[in-house]
Amino acid sequence: MELKTIELTKNFGSKTAVNHLNVTLTNGVYGLLGANGAGKTTFMRLLCNIQTPTSGKIVLNGKNIEGLNEKYRGLLGYLPQHFGYYPDFAALDFLLYVSALKGLNEKNAKKKSKKLLEAVGLSAESKHKIKTFSGGMKQRLGIAQAMLGDPHILILDEPTAGLDPKERVRFRNLISAFAKNRIVILSTHVVSDVEFIAEEIIMMKSGQIVHFGKPQEITAEIDGQVWECAVPSAHAETYAAKFNTSNLRNTDRGETILRIISERPPMENAVRVQPNLEDLYLFYFKGDIEE
Amino acid sequence: MKKLIQFELRKIFSRRLTQAALIALFLLSVLLDFSAYQNMYASDGISNEGTGRIAVEIDKAIAGKYKGLLTDEKVQQMMIEFKPKQDLHGMNAAYLYQNALQSALFRNFSDLDGNWNGYSVSDVYGNEEINIGYTYGWLNTSQNMVKIFIVLSLVVVIMTAPVFSGEYGGVDNIILTSKYGKTKCGAAKIIGSILAALIITAVVSAINLIYAFILYGSSGLDCSILFAPADFAAGYIPFNITCGTLLKYQILLAFTSIISVTGITLVLSAVCKNQTVALVASAAIYLFPVMLPVSETSTLFKIITLLPLYHAQFVFLMSVEQIRGNVLYALMAVPVALIFMGIGVFISRRVFAKHQVL
Repeated sequence: MELKTIELTKNFGSKTAVNHLNVTLTNGVYGLLGANGAGKTTFMRLLCNIQTPTSGKIVLNGKNIEGLNEKYRGLLGYLPQHFGYYPDFAALDFLLYVSALKGLNEKNAKKKSKKLLEAVGLSAESKHKIKTFSGGMKQRLGIAQAMLGDPHILILDEPTAGLDPKERVRFRNLISAFAKNRIVILSTHVVSDVEFIAEEIIMMKSGQIVHFGKPQEITAEIDGQVWECAVPSAHAETYAAKFNTSNLRNTDRGETILRIISERPPMENAVRVQPNLEDLYLFYFKGDIEE
Repeated sequence: MKKLIQFELRKIFSRRLTQAALIALFLLSVLLDFSAYQNMYASDGISNEGTGRIAVEIDKAIAGKYKGLLTDEKVQQMMIEFKPKQDLHGMNAAYLYQNALQSALFRNFSDLDGNWNGYSVSDVYGNEEINIGYTYGWLNTSQNMVKIFIVLSLVVVIMTAPVFSGEYGGVDNIILTSKYGKTKCGAAKIIGSILAALIITAVVSAINLIYAFILYGSSGLDCSILFAPADFAAGYIPFNITCGTLLKYQILLAFTSIISVTGITLVLSAVCKNQTVALVASAAIYLFPVMLPVSETSTLFKIITLLPLYHAQFVFLMSVEQIRGNVLYALMAVPVALIFMGIGVFISRRVFAKHQVL
């Protein structure tokens, strides 16, 4: 399966959210990274065909998705950033409703819904009203509904928001097991989430893709630009503000180890280290984050 | 599709506002019918008088004596029986209310002093055959149902306004990305809304009719509305139809009103991003004709009465002249309702399917 965007553009008035974006997605897990306002959510909505592009198109196996209608939507699973639900529906009823929308027959819908509730750790709450759920439980229900009907294209916008570390691990395992022979796109602010499960990373900035590739490949771009240096803990804040710092770690010797992204050694005692995805994220989005 | 319609019906009926509105509507029905019954008054002018159940019994007993076709002989007999026997202290006898039959008689055949005005049955009704009897109970029910059907239309607005607009709060993402979200789901929403509206209309009509049947029985359903007591607006419908026919028309027009209102509300529900806006706008559109300063003599009156508010206030629509032969103009409400619904179905489905999630 090949999902391709061709010169995909979306404007909101004078603001361009997605700017002439060209990308080809084949089976695999894609991690979409970008600061707030980078255009990730708009890009995902365009892929889901719930927003119409200002120009450009999206094609699935060579066919424009606009003309595919139910055939395309039948392949989709989507978890929006802000997951809407019916407060008075029980979790199982909500999944049965989504199953009906996805065209699953009644018997299969019940079986699938129960299985997914179990997979996201909600089987004990299947008959509880959604309005009684915590944020994390609602998010897990959202993930379950997106996976109903075994979609071939799974688009998850901030799926780990509100999940505790244990639930995050469960989510990663679930997606890893599910992703075979499918296109899975997930956006998140938690770089470690995509670092573990994404085969490819898409970095977006100002509506454009600034980086696309495997995590190891794209971090190679800042090889030799990540440093660790020890400073007295009392001055750590000052140094952190001065440099592009991705991490601070206190030692028991009254020192703080700063992880700094810089082309040149930031100080004399700096030691060059292997870059990771978080370093790359900060390298690209430092300005956006400070804004 | 069946499953989707069931879910839509469940969503409609599980909303708190809908439930509160329905409870209020049923309470209003019971209160109006019960208070009308309790407030009924009748006197036979001799020894019996009373309110409520006693009044109904007195009215029925008097009507029973004259039951059948209205003749000049019966008019004369009634004029004698109902002639005021007390000093009215200057009050006009024509406005005196003793009982339902006396009121109907004086409205047509009495002068201000309660004496025969000289008109014969044919002077008043032409060649029409007027069947008389106890009509007060059913006419009262019909009058109450006007108020109930107006409130019912507003309840339907409350039920229908969130059908599409309620989804724009977040579930639209999930619906519109699902296989049938832009196709069968839209259709299920429309069918669910229409079914919910029709079910409620049928239930409310049935409750009122059954209640009236328990209180008044079937007597009077075959009697002409032209010989109605003075205080019934139904008396202004200038056609010789029976109470039963009147109720059939009223209920038909209640359904056309509800279908029209559902069509209008579906459009606004799909167009408005906020359910409160959809609700207020739909209610305003439904009620706005009441502001129009159009008199019954105006040519616009015939068009305005085809708006759904006047389907519920059916007397206006039924007082417009016949189209042809015995076919009443009120039947025009049927194609009008279908047009409103057609527009509602076409626009709401299209707008929802093309909705852009922001």
